Amino acid sequence: MTRRTRLFRFAGIFTLFLIGLLAMGGSAQVALAQTSPIHPTFPLLDENGQNVLDSGAPVSTMATCGSCHDTEFIADHSFHVTVGLDQFTAPGAIEGSHPWEMSSGMFGGWDATAYRYLTPPGDQEFDLGVPDWIKTYGLRHVGGGPAMETPDGTPLTELTVTAGDPWTHSYDSETGELMAWDWSKSGVEEMNCFLCHFPQPNNQARKDALESGEFQWANTATLLGTGIVSHEGDEWVWNPDAFQEDGELDADHVTIQDPTPENCGACHGAVHMSTDPLTPAEITPDDWHTIRTGQIFSGQRLKDTGLNLENKQDLDRSLDVHAERNVECSDCHFAVNNPVYYQEPLETRPGHLLFDPRRLDFGEYLLRPDHNFARGQTAQHAVKPEYQDAMRRCESCHDAESTHDWLPYTELHMDTLSCESCHIPKLYAPAMQLDDWTVITPDGQANVTFRGVEGDVNDIHSLITGYEPVLLEQTEVTGESRLTPFNLITTYYWVHEDPERPVRVEDLKAVYLNEAGDDYAPEIITAFDANGDGTVDSAELRLDSDEKVQMIKDRLVGLGLTNPQIRGEVRPYNVNHNVAHGDYATKDCQVCHSQDSLISRSFVLAAYRPGGVDPTIKGDNNVKFTGDMAWDDETNTLTFTPATTESGLYLPGHNHVDWVGWIGLFSLLATLAFVVIHGGLRLYEAGKHAHDPHKEPEMRTVYMYTFYERAWHWLQAITILMLLATGIVIHRPDTFGNLDFGIVVPAHNVLAAILLINAVFAVFYHFASGEIRQYLPEPRGYFRQALMQVDYYMRGIFRGDPHPFAKTPEHKLNPLQQATYFMILNVLLPLQILTGIAMWSAMRWPNVMRSLGGLTWLAPFHTLIAWFFASFVILHVYLTTTGHTPLEGIKAMTVGWEEVEVEGREGTAVADSSAAGAGSVGA
Amino acid sequence: MTRPRVPWIVGAIVTVLVIAIPLYFFLPKNSSKAEEAWANVPTHPVHTDHKGLFTDYTLESGSDVTNACLDCHPDAAQEVMKTSHWTWENGPYELEGRDELVYGGKKHLINNFCIGITDNEPPCTACHIGYGWEDESFDFTQEENVDCLVCHDNSGAYIKKNAGYPADSVDLLAVAESVGNPTRENCGSCHFRGGGGDAVKHGDLDNSLLHPSDELDVHMGKYDFSCTDCHRTEHHDIAGKSISVSMDDENQVYCTDCHNEKPHDDERLNDHTATVACQTCHIPEFARKEATKTEWLWSQAGQDLPQNPHEYLKIKGKFVYEKNVVPTYAWYSGTADRYILGDKIDPTVPTVMNMPHGGIDDPEAKIFPFKVHNADQVYDTVYNYLLQPKTFGEGGYWSDFDWDKANRLGSEAVGMEYSGEYGFAPTQMYWPTTHMVAPAKDALQCESCHTKDDAPGRLDWEALGYQGDPMYYGGREQQLGVAPVSTEEQK
Repeated sequence: MTRRTRLFRFAGIFTLFLIGLLAMGGSAQVALAQTSPIHPTFPLLDENGQNVLDSGAPVSTMATCGSCHDTEFIADHSFHVTVGLDQFTAPGAIEGSHPWEMSSGMFGGWDATAYRYLTPPGDQEFDLGVPDWIKTYGLRHVGGGPAMETPDGTPLTELTVTAGDPWTHSYDSETGELMAWDWSKSGVEEMNCFLCHFPQPNNQARKDALESGEFQWANTATLLGTGIVSHEGDEWVWNPDAFQEDGELDADHVTIQDPTPENCGACHGAVHMSTDPLTPAEITPDDWHTIRTGQIFSGQRLKDTGLNLENKQDLDRSLDVHAERNVECSDCHFAVNNPVYYQEPLETRPGHLLFDPRRLDFGEYLLRPDHNFARGQTAQHAVKPEYQDAMRRCESCHDAESTHDWLPYTELHMDTLSCESCHIPKLYAPAMQLDDWTVITPDGQANVTFRGVEGDVNDIHSLITGYEPVLLEQTEVTGESRLTPFNLITTYYWVHEDPERPVRVEDLKAVYLNEAGDDYAPEIITAFDANGDGTVDSAELRLDSDEKVQMIKDRLVGLGLTNPQIRGEVRPYNVNHNVAHGDYATKDCQVCHSQDSLISRSFVLAAYRPGGVDPTIKGDNNVKFTGDMAWDDETNTLTFTPATTESGLYLPGHNHVDWVGWIGLFSLLATLAFVVIHGGLRLYEAGKHAHDPHKEPEMRTVYMYTFYERAWHWLQAITILMLLATGIVIHRPDTFGNLDFGIVVPAHNVLAAILLINAVFAVFYHFASGEIRQYLPEPRGYFRQALMQVDYYMRGIFRGDPHPFAKTPEHKLNPLQQATYFMILNVLLPLQILTGIAMWSAMRWPNVMRSLGGLTWLAPFHTLIAWFFASFVILHVYLTTTGHTPLEGIKAMTVGWEEVEVEGREGTAVADSSAAGAGSVGA
Repeated sequence: MTRPRVPWIVGAIVTVLVIAIPLYFFLPKNSSKAEEAWANVPTHPVHTDHKGLFTDYTLESGSDVTNACLDCHPDAAQEVMKTSHWTWENGPYELEGRDELVYGGKKHLINNFCIGITDNEPPCTACHIGYGWEDESFDFTQEENVDCLVCHDNSGAYIKKNAGYPADSVDLLAVAESVGNPTRENCGSCHFRGGGGDAVKHGDLDNSLLHPSDELDVHMGKYDFSCTDCHRTEHHDIAGKSISVSMDDENQVYCTDCHNEKPHDDERLNDHTATVACQTCHIPEFARKEATKTEWLWSQAGQDLPQNPHEYLKIKGKFVYEKNVVPTYAWYSGTADRYILGDKIDPTVPTVMNMPHGGIDDPEAKIFPFKVHNADQVYDTVYNYLLQPKTFGEGGYWSDFDWDKANRLGSEAVGMEYSGEYGFAPTQMYWPTTHMVAPAKDALQCESCHTKDDAPGRLDWEALGYQGDPMYYGGREQQLGVAPVSTEEQK
């Protein structure tokens, strides 16, 4: 019987079974809940296809599962299996990576935090042979791939031992000798289906089997504890009671299931799905995602956990809203051909199709499920790049527009920020900060510093403060860049030789430890033990002086290494989990729109630099590091400070252009100075020439301003003042009130709309009524008249001279006013309106704004004009006091009637009736 | 030229309005749901200070005080006498499966705590809102028997003794002068102590509500509610009732009296409100401060065992008290069935005294949290019905420890046959859990009920009538075609 027909026959039987179940009523489903509701019973087969009950041999998952599922296909379509084997190459051939890396996967690639290095073929300086790799990294490898074959596809069991070949040798760190590896004795580790598809796989027993070199038993060991197999002494014994008479596994023991978060968490990070409090003990060094970023997958509320969190009683949010709401790992990271989840990408789907119903049916899928799982677009894991962004991202499930109507400029925010930027405001577990492999502890580990915790990370009494991830720009698969949160881990390590490669752990041990390897060498203790207590603690275990660096360098050279150097590198680690519900996301505008903006907040990289070396940014990823790395001698920290302006971001309230501020301030202060000096002189002179009746002009009362003109003026005046007030809050929220952007920004926009509408009506009015002529200077004699007005302001006004031009309802404006208003109303105001509209339009049409230069250009320009407006307002108000009496001008603009000097009187320039003869209300 | 026709102030006002009106309409409004709810909370009139108003009275008994009250509040006693606080009876009800109408209330019903009041009155009627209900001869028409003070005393010094009389130590003048709006202490003096002690009967009402933390009761703790903020009262008729003594839902109190029926910002949560009562998520556990009685074995009474009011008393039997109890969840439409004296029982299975009405196919029913009180209590093994023994007083079980005599006297009092053969039958009683609402931050989460894989959640979907977790199988509308009715419509 072929696999396919067996599977289909099963599907038929299963359907009948389901119908029977339904007929029996719902209760039968409960009885089945513990076992697999769908998977039939099956025999456990060894690699020869014999029932393990008969042969006593280790179970072969490829044969057992392969009797129905196409396990060859699955192994070939799984980056969890290949982990880089399929792109294995010579050292140095992987672009952008370290010169000693041979792939970008776990097999052949090199990760500074994991450190151990697979020896390349032909290299006699062994760190890890392939058997050692399985013992070391196999613990987090699902088997198959490099644990079964070489990059050219030769089964490991068929290899012949050649001298120094890493595939057939293991390095014995005790003796420092290479040992030939007998693959026929150890067997190989097949792809381990049980690890992900059993509810409680025994990963520890599997690891023990791998570490002891019993590779072929690793998959069997995974079943330890299920009652199917037991480990007695060195023997693995299959339990006949767990099997039916026909040799198939008893239905009670068939608990095959979809992978749960716990399955994924076994290798990827801390997962806690029960209602019992999450305890610190559940976070182990093997939880890489948790250790590296602080991510924990759990729906538990933080305050209900058993973690020693700062301000815990107030932490109402759950660790991860998706976990809380029953979204599991495989809901986003699904098998890409799973017919439930499969959705053709928008790029290839015809535009008229919302959903293409054609897909694998379940039988076909169960035969050949593609185990290349959909995944996001992280800075790590370059293996199988074609699956980057295959998974559903936030936007695939969430209609963010509908829930962010409270957020001004939604689209602009979404274009600039990933969802995670606001929805993962903080991580609540310690995360690696500095991983210092320039030194080594007696148990063979680096000296690691964590962020987000006060004190020793291994002490459950240490206070977990958590940390706010740094926002960096990441180029997504679509080509767009958005800010998204990261942890940055700095690693330091020794390299040697040329081309470089990392110094082996064995060599580090030889340098730092005594011969027994259980403590530091006496010379090391003498050199490093700063407090003289006879031991080297983790605060002392650092290369913080030239002498220490030289000492270690000498000792490395003494081992025969050439040219040892300290290298430091910073790597970004994406933070995508631990998503907070909107209630707990960053919503306060001032978090970013303020001086101390989140997007430019310094992120501590390290509290010391081994050997004083500045680390380099690891650039083989899609993250842009725009900003500055700097060592601060005062705080003794190495920090990275993002500089988002370099990538074209301008955040109102955070960014400002200095020269705009200086020019604006100068204009404002100069105006003020003029007003103070001029006004002071006027007061002084007024005292000297106290009331000279000869100079008292003859007065008459005229209806100067119509109701509409006054209403227009004051509406404009008030809106401009309020625009200046709200504008300055938006520009410098820290200095001016720190008011909520959510109110101030819309208020500014509404006021601007009123100003604009008012201006449109006014333009119409002025044209329709002909009043526009007030603003039009008479070309002939304009300069002479203007000079007369200047002369008046400079001299005549102090003497109490009459105004050179009488102000009449027909000629309200003097030549200077005409010039000024022309500038204000025809240049500044339109410019301000246009730049304002351009910035406002970003709310709906962000591309329009971008094509106009973006906020980087528009916002400073808008600010500059606002300074000029502010200056104008001051001057304007001051000059209103130059009328017949100081308050006459304001009174006229309020009630319409004004007392003005009678025209044509002696001393008043006689202008012909068509010339501008207006009077006093100043520019 | 004439002076302008429009005074400038008009222009100023117009200008300001032109700016203010668009700002008002276009600026985002922060109208929180909590504020909306506040609009529905009643305000209480300031109570008149009664100091010095009793100088012309001699207040030697409770009735003296009542008479004094009635001089100024002539309708008060008549109003009180219409309520079940006075009558201890309600109904009559038509119950499904019965020909005759039945009455509710403590006067008629038995429960599975101290069982029944008939012929046992004095200790029970210490909580009656009157003076002198010592036996069946009590005159329910005497206005002066109404106890005004138990609800209106604001001095905290008023204590009632058996049959409802004021304790001898009470300074009636001081108490009378202190009268004011009913406080939590007034209501709590009886309702927190149901069953004869603090927290015994209700898992959600006890003395911890006098000074609750924000977490224990968000209304009374964080917002300092009094009972009457929700149990609104008109003419001394106080809203609210429980299926421990009532069978209907007339004049009931609902969360939606103040809160919007779709109170969450999250649509997914709002989808629940037609099927899940607010209490289900917002009262994750009951007896969160004081342990409450969850089991009472009368059959163990009468032994000379070490006594402890929370474990064993010779007169009452054996108890179990529990704290932080996850409620029992059941469909509940607001009404309940009722065990009436004389109903036949099957002594092999627990008899439910007040089974809540409702089921998955009842569109008006919602999933509701209950405290279930389990007991065994005396029944007639020949007639197969529960008995109401005489416990208090002469010949009562509490003095003679003779069940036979207690059964005989009790049966005579309620007018039932007693065969002389008795045993103990298991019974259950449902107590709706509706007080001690936790703050939203402590409400249940999705995964509390909706679990994947094998983890058991709070709700047993199949027991509730679902084919499976509605998160995956769809709600009752999809599973059974039952369209739930919203609370608003139910009213």
